[in-house]
Amino acid sequence: MPGILCCFKWVVDEAYIRAGTGKELDLDWVDYKISDYDRNAIEEAVRLQEKHGGNVSAITVGKPDDTKGLKDALSRGPEKAYFINDSSFDNLEPSQTAAILAEVIGGSSIDYDLIICGEGSSDLYARQVGPRLAAKLGIPCAAFVQKIEMEQDKIIVERKIEDGVEVLELPLPALVTVLPDINSPRIPGLKDTLSASKKPVIDIGLDELSGSFDPCLRTISISKANMERNGVKLSSEPQDISSLVDALIKQGVIGGVK
Amino acid sequence: MDFKLTEEQELIRENMREFTRKYVDPVAVEIDENSRYPEEVIKKLAEGDWMGMPYPQEYGGAGVEYLTYAIVVEELSRSCAATGFTLSCHTSLASGPIYNYGSEDQKKKYLVPLAKGQKIGAFGVTEPGAGTDVGAATTTAVLDGDTYVLNGTKTFTSNGPVADTFVIFAFTDKSLGPKGLSAFIISKDNPGLKVGQHFYKMGIRASQTSEMILKDCRVPKEDLLGKEGQGMQIAMATFDHGRIGIAAQAVGIAQAAMDESISYAKQRIQFGKPISKNQAIQWMIADMATDISAARFLTYHAAYLKDQGKPFSKEAAMAKVFAAEMANKHASKAVQIHGGNGYCKGFKVERLMRDAKITEIYEGTSEAQRMVIAGNVLR
Repeated sequence: MPGILCCFKWVVDEAYIRAGTGKELDLDWVDYKISDYDRNAIEEAVRLQEKHGGNVSAITVGKPDDTKGLKDALSRGPEKAYFINDSSFDNLEPSQTAAILAEVIGGSSIDYDLIICGEGSSDLYARQVGPRLAAKLGIPCAAFVQKIEMEQDKIIVERKIEDGVEVLELPLPALVTVLPDINSPRIPGLKDTLSASKKPVIDIGLDELSGSFDPCLRTISISKANMERNGVKLSSEPQDISSLVDALIKQGVIGGVK
Repeated sequence: MDFKLTEEQELIRENMREFTRKYVDPVAVEIDENSRYPEEVIKKLAEGDWMGMPYPQEYGGAGVEYLTYAIVVEELSRSCAATGFTLSCHTSLASGPIYNYGSEDQKKKYLVPLAKGQKIGAFGVTEPGAGTDVGAATTTAVLDGDTYVLNGTKTFTSNGPVADTFVIFAFTDKSLGPKGLSAFIISKDNPGLKVGQHFYKMGIRASQTSEMILKDCRVPKEDLLGKEGQGMQIAMATFDHGRIGIAAQAVGIAQAAMDESISYAKQRIQFGKPISKNQAIQWMIADMATDISAARFLTYHAAYLKDQGKPFSKEAAMAKVFAAEMANKHASKAVQIHGGNGYCKGFKVERLMRDAKITEIYEGTSEAQRMVIAGNVLR
């Protein structure tokens, strides 16, 4: 009966990011969501549990007011959640998140056979937390997994790689990061959302952690990308295609023929 | 005063939005075109516990506040007003009176399968000669031993062709006037109940509407809803609840009209720039945003009052008349922003303009809402 941990990140929903009046982004009215790829991680954990039994717990690192994310995650099937939170846990780098998760998972009584992460987060998409966490825990890791078969004390996974599909066997405990192709996450029903509030959440504060989690990077600025429209309509006729190429060369978007 | 929704309510709205993107948006055009009942969508709604939202879990519902129910109807109607109404008619008009006036046995027998979405409900009060004037109904119910025998014709029965359980109104004693009207629960397999003419409508075309013909329809005494003569009270109270759903539906339609208008206005280039840069378009969209917010707050306030156990009849009527009229105004403006494109099939605003009209008519016309409001404020 496997114990499965699924990691998720509560991120800004990019649909709500607006352009500011200057170069900055307007984040005043943003809403948050579970990182898209982490929904696949939660779904896969729950599907494996439905097939093999055992238990599923969700785990996240965030700010104390990120409670909506916990309810969202729990409404998707896990029985309980570990909420590692502190007001300083804002815009963490992958190295920090992995170190915090490793201390909690490795140094506590959390019983697990498999850890599932999304392939990356839908805000930074650094794709580092899973592999870094596995390295710190000293367990095997397979990233970019599109299929998981679970057996007694091992998993067989399919990794999507550039030239094809790699099939790997990993002894448990292990960590995988999953691709969106692996499943289609369920939409929580009304009762799923209502029951999520009643599920246990294990609150873990910074004062319960002994490590130091200093950042490696310094963010200098985040600014918007401008997309100008010229409003020129072109057909697929040869003369229009030539006009388009000429216009793109003139604007320096593509190089001219030398 | 707290204008903030709970985290659960926000998640429920987001989940319904995701539901509509996955299951409703892909069929909305086709079911409108073919006047087709989206049975597969209704089944999915039942699987997600969306068909009995405000009723306690012991009766098969989810036990959420009416405010949460209004939010869901709004979000569903934003995608497809016909599907939104199929759900709200089933929930407010059919299941509502059974929950509010039914005996324990009636709730177990009829409400539980309705709230679970295993069965679909309909509500039959309107007759060819009795629209707003409910008391002009001519359907009769005569007690014969242990059964009532009903005869008459109901018209514009929403969900009629697809419903399993009907709440139908008939006079047990016409001489008593409104106090002689009674309500009955009737199953579709009753041989005395037949689906009559189907109506093919201007809007909400996927919502199924028909006549219901009662010919020597024998209804056991235990299926009388409430008491003899309580029908008018049941009908009016049910409309009070239902109006919150229709107001929410109208807000959803208007929100969709604004969504489409903003998206189109930013893309449509005229005179070398997006038409969203023109003040004329900006003002139309500003008015939409303002009126939608006002209607949404009126709707949520009426639902909030109901949830608090306070009187909400006047507020439900205010929300319904304001939301319905603003939805019509702004669906029309949305077509205007789209120009010739908006007048053609293929652009959502064309459907929204047709769908909006019914919100001014059913569950009490705008004129009837004003009668309710005036009756309250002129007391």
